[in-house]
Amino acid sequence: MRRGVGLTLLAAALSVVVSSCGNGVIDKSTDGVPPAEATGTLRVLIPSFPPSTKGRDAFQKVVDDFHKTYPKMKVEPDFATYKNLNEKLSTSIAAGIPYDVVVTGVGWVQPFASKRIFEDLGKYGVTPDVIKEKSTPALIPAVTYDKKLYAYPLVADARAVALRKSAFIEAGLDPSKPPTSLAEIKTAAEKLTKRDKNGNITRSGFDLASATGFRQSFTTFLASTGTPLYVGGEPNFDNKAGLDTLLWIKSMINNVQPYGQTNAAQQPLVLTGEAAMGIVNGGVDCSADGIGQKNCDDLEFFRFNSGKEIEYVGGDLASIGSRSRHKDAAWSFIQTLTTTASLDAIAKLNKKVPAYKDASNSPQAKSNPLSQFVADGLKYAVNENEVPSNWLEMRGNFDIQLTQAVLGQKDPAKVLHNLAGQSR
Amino acid sequence: MSTTLERPALSTPRKVSPSKDGRTLIRSQVRAGWALLAPALLHSAVFIVVPVIAVLVLSLTDYSFGDTWAWVGFGNYADLFRDVDFLASLWHTVLYAIVVIPISMAISLAVAVGLNQKIRGLSFFRTAFYIPTVTATVAVATIWLWIYNPGSGLANGFLSLFGFAPNRWLADPATALPSLMVVGIWQGLGTKVIIYLAALQGVSRDLLESADLDGASRWQRFANVTWPAIGPVQFFVLITSIVGTFQVFDLVYVMTQGGPGSETRVLVMDIYQNAFQDLKLGYASAETVIMMLVIAIFIAVGRLLQKADAND
Repeated sequence: MRRGVGLTLLAAALSVVVSSCGNGVIDKSTDGVPPAEATGTLRVLIPSFPPSTKGRDAFQKVVDDFHKTYPKMKVEPDFATYKNLNEKLSTSIAAGIPYDVVVTGVGWVQPFASKRIFEDLGKYGVTPDVIKEKSTPALIPAVTYDKKLYAYPLVADARAVALRKSAFIEAGLDPSKPPTSLAEIKTAAEKLTKRDKNGNITRSGFDLASATGFRQSFTTFLASTGTPLYVGGEPNFDNKAGLDTLLWIKSMINNVQPYGQTNAAQQPLVLTGEAAMGIVNGGVDCSADGIGQKNCDDLEFFRFNSGKEIEYVGGDLASIGSRSRHKDAAWSFIQTLTTTASLDAIAKLNKKVPAYKDASNSPQAKSNPLSQFVADGLKYAVNENEVPSNWLEMRGNFDIQLTQAVLGQKDPAKVLHNLAGQSR
Repeated sequence: MSTTLERPALSTPRKVSPSKDGRTLIRSQVRAGWALLAPALLHSAVFIVVPVIAVLVLSLTDYSFGDTWAWVGFGNYADLFRDVDFLASLWHTVLYAIVVIPISMAISLAVAVGLNQKIRGLSFFRTAFYIPTVTATVAVATIWLWIYNPGSGLANGFLSLFGFAPNRWLADPATALPSLMVVGIWQGLGTKVIIYLAALQGVSRDLLESADLDGASRWQRFANVTWPAIGPVQFFVLITSIVGTFQVFDLVYVMTQGGPGSETRVLVMDIYQNAFQDLKLGYASAETVIMMLVIAIFIAVGRLLQKADAND
């Protein structure tokens, strides 16, 4: 009898502990409540603001604007990084405390939309025409799943190619005629590569920007041949174009660039002079605090073109969590995030291009030549295109298996065939 | 002259039924025992038993954080044994354990024996060997990242003094896992050294002196007196090392992320990837169950070896 009472008490204590861990902070729904009267906590998962003083101040301005509509709602930001975004999302779902606003990148929307973790923004009037009219049309495939839109673009993360004029002249090449096709780039890169007396590379001829994996560079090079990685969720790389591209990457690694080359500052190697040519992100700081005007003047920017001129474009995309109890407030917050002033602030903080109609005339584009170049080139945008719903899994598979092919551990043709089979 | 002490004959205990006072005392002692155990039991129930049950149940589902899930029976387990990443991770983990555990135990024991002598600067050496254990793994990994840097790292700088060509260490598939093993061995030394040192200081002085008087060499003294005396501690170090090496994650996460390719991908890294990056929680749970079984097998083998050693 006494034992029974003891066990009951233990079970009761356990259930109290478990339940308090799981459901303690769920708000009442504010949907349908007038904004001025809505109370609760809006949880925002956002990698667009760095957790620095500058980042927090910029985010607070967005919150202050939001409070003009929702004065009683508390905003709880989680300044995640793209590296721990999935951890944050999955643990929040498991804990029963989902985020209301979630900012992700290209390739995230389809998997989460297919799991019904993101809300269809169609009910808030977001259509492809709205994005074409107000935002970056190139990002429409990245926010679309099953013909519905699940995210609104904040900034475009565009990549270009840069060359060092001085290195070109030194190697007897003409910097005003940059190599744009894969074959031309390889020929030029081999001439630009510098080695020591033992044959070790001391300056790379071309930086593929693939220190941790070849997924994005493979996507970019493949797209420059006019072949998107996926079409309608179906793989489009298990073919001659895919194999030629992978073999090209293989021929470049440890020939014009050592595998895994990176620098401590995680800067594009061409900006620091460690490579004569290479892929660069969407902005460069030409001031004395950055790489300096002299270095900036030595750079020339261009785009890949092996049959199709392209610019790889990722981006930050804002969604509403489907389990949010404050969906109306979440949409209002996204509207505040997408004002011109907010987008300019996010673009400046991240050296990305604001995803509004006239990005070429944005303050960020005007601030440096690289941002201007990529903003002007958004019409050439490509990315992984319409990825399959298991893309989160495929990202890792691509990184691992392409590396194995490049390092000669696996047959490139078999790797591509395998990756195509795993895409579903 | 030697004296033989005879063990006094023990009388057979009589069955005595406790008095009423005695029974009350026993009951109150039992209650006190349960009361003292309760916090630990509650902790174990919440943080060990419940998660283990949850993992077992989840491993039979395809749960992936979405709205819907289904029972898949042993489907996840079947899939795992066709998954090249899982098999590679399992192999790398077993290899890591097989290399790191005996080497780190041997070095630790040797260091502990050295530190058990009356040498100068004993406190300094003891502290120096323990520092890696109390240093955060992320800091340790960051320092070793610099050491292994192919361009400006200490390792290549040191090798160049002897005319060796620079190695790419973590970027080379052939040397990435061995490079991590070196860090794992180095980092785990401190704890083992302290445990061995405590055990060595507990070895009976009388027995050691007797061995000296019998003319035993240093090696004979170690093999016949010290080694058997520290047997239980060896087993403890072995078990904790097995669990520790199978759970290696932070070192790999910071230093290689499992690369190049999947050359340093270990089990916990694969579980993390499946659960929190690919969002396949059911699948990752099945992997966790298999990891628990593999650890249990290793511990059982260790136990058998220890028993065999004790019987010799």
